[in-house]
Amino acid sequence: MRRGVAAATVALMVVSLAACGDGNSSSSSETTSAPPPVNNVQPVIVDAGPLVNGQSLGDEDILFTTVTICIPGTVTCQSIDHIAVDTGSSGLRIVASQLALALPNSMNSSGQPIGNCVQYADNSYQWGPIAKADIKMAGEVASAIPIQVVGAENFPAPPADCTAGGTPAQTVSDLGANGILGVGLFRQDCGPACASTASPPAIYFSCASSGCSIASVSVTEQLQNPVWMFPQDNNGVLIVLPQIAAGGALSVQGSMLFGIGTQSDNTLGSAQAQAADGFGNFTTTFNGTKYSNSFIDSGSNALFFLDSATTGFPDCSAGSQAVGFYCPDSTANFTAINSGPNPSASTTQVSVNVAFSIANAVSLFNNSVNTAFNNVGGANPGAFDWGLPFFFGRNVFIGIEGQSSAAGKGPYWAY
Amino acid sequence: MKRPLIVFSVLFAAALSGFAALGGSEESVINDQVRFQASRRIVPEHGYRIHEISRGDGTLIKEYVSLDGKVFGVSWKGPTLPDLSQLLGSSFVEFKNSVHPRAGRRKTAVVRNSDLVVESTGHMRAFQGRAYLNSLLPPGITQEVVR
Repeated sequence: MRRGVAAATVALMVVSLAACGDGNSSSSSETTSAPPPVNNVQPVIVDAGPLVNGQSLGDEDILFTTVTICIPGTVTCQSIDHIAVDTGSSGLRIVASQLALALPNSMNSSGQPIGNCVQYADNSYQWGPIAKADIKMAGEVASAIPIQVVGAENFPAPPADCTAGGTPAQTVSDLGANGILGVGLFRQDCGPACASTASPPAIYFSCASSGCSIASVSVTEQLQNPVWMFPQDNNGVLIVLPQIAAGGALSVQGSMLFGIGTQSDNTLGSAQAQAADGFGNFTTTFNGTKYSNSFIDSGSNALFFLDSATTGFPDCSAGSQAVGFYCPDSTANFTAINSGPNPSASTTQVSVNVAFSIANAVSLFNNSVNTAFNNVGGANPGAFDWGLPFFFGRNVFIGIEGQSSAAGKGPYWAY
Repeated sequence: MKRPLIVFSVLFAAALSGFAALGGSEESVINDQVRFQASRRIVPEHGYRIHEISRGDGTLIKEYVSLDGKVFGVSWKGPTLPDLSQLLGSSFVEFKNSVHPRAGRRKTAVVRNSDLVVESTGHMRAFQGRAYLNSLLPPGITQEVVR
């Protein structure tokens, strides 16, 4: 059963009146115009991924969902499956080849289309125009919000400031998904830095027919995390995935719930909240050493942490199907400590022990039809990237920046 | 204690030329400053110098220069990824050809070749990384100074 925001507000008013000693707790009245409660449960799945030429891509540990996209204000809509759920970014990006709708491009104040560039740590990039769409998930709707159409035809080629000599990650095969749903800690992909007119970064571009150049774009015209654009259940996300066996699972079904403490199904319960810093990072302590650039990322397909020299784990051999992952001789068990300030009392540190295991990735992948693993690891020098394995068997809350809940104001994690 | 010796302006630096960063000459650092539209200061250390390049968006790039004027290491940290084709100079192609496509999809790239080492990690709004050339490490200086 779900309760509406209005009812919760009334309950709070009653408490505060009683606390003031007014004694007249029956005098409160409903003055909010909160929308009626809607279904906030969006199914998610880890499976073999989208079909390309009739074959599943078969990548491991990618969390997917199906998103409905509409031309703004119309019932002309399309549902696109196998969109990767990424808590490490913000905003919806759809591979152009999967999009059947003619969405309107966003124009800047000079009347030119806006180009958007994403650069990743591995020097890959995504390029495409910003378009406006209504985004529907479960019963929630984000109306006419900016999204990126990755690799759109009839749009200028990516400028050198975007490609930076790197590798395109623009196709379904490149991404392992039909798109990326960024439901991370931040409201926008960039924020105030891209609205600044003083040397903005190579993220937003003004695109004349002769080509695109770096331009500042107002915060409201930037790519938006769809969740904070919902009229309700917009203060965060809860991802719930069951625990799986050490040998992996063929597929895993779970839920992405919108809102934190806005309905009876998304209350914090015993989850402990930790504020993230301005970069979205927190501190992981491992073997007595603090790694302050650590983060949680459902879009990373393993637990990526430190390096072979620090962990003592050999990297899987270069010729193997698990190159880039760890290949310990036998499964190793660890405990790390994640810590950050209490979002509602920043002088108090909140620490949570996190137990994890790392198995030999070649053994895991070898002859396995499984697509979900909770114990695959790899290198991430100097920090912990708590990828999708972290989410199995946990309820993980993502508190969006500037949005409030019982835990305090985002950005924060709670689990 | 670290003290900045010299602060260059972008306009002054734009008049100079050279070749790109890692493995290049100390003068090449100026190209990077222009490329990244940033301010720069030089921090002297025992046996090497650090050129610190600060972008307006908060990204800090450090270039580690030996006393004979070679860039032996670079590092970066901040909300945006610097142009690695600029920063890694002539090592960029080797880096690109050595990145594993599957593991760590997009969020991490680690290259450990005999000479070139690159570690690039992070997510949207938070990137950090470093690169160095073993062959250019000054006598008595280990890779650990590049951070």
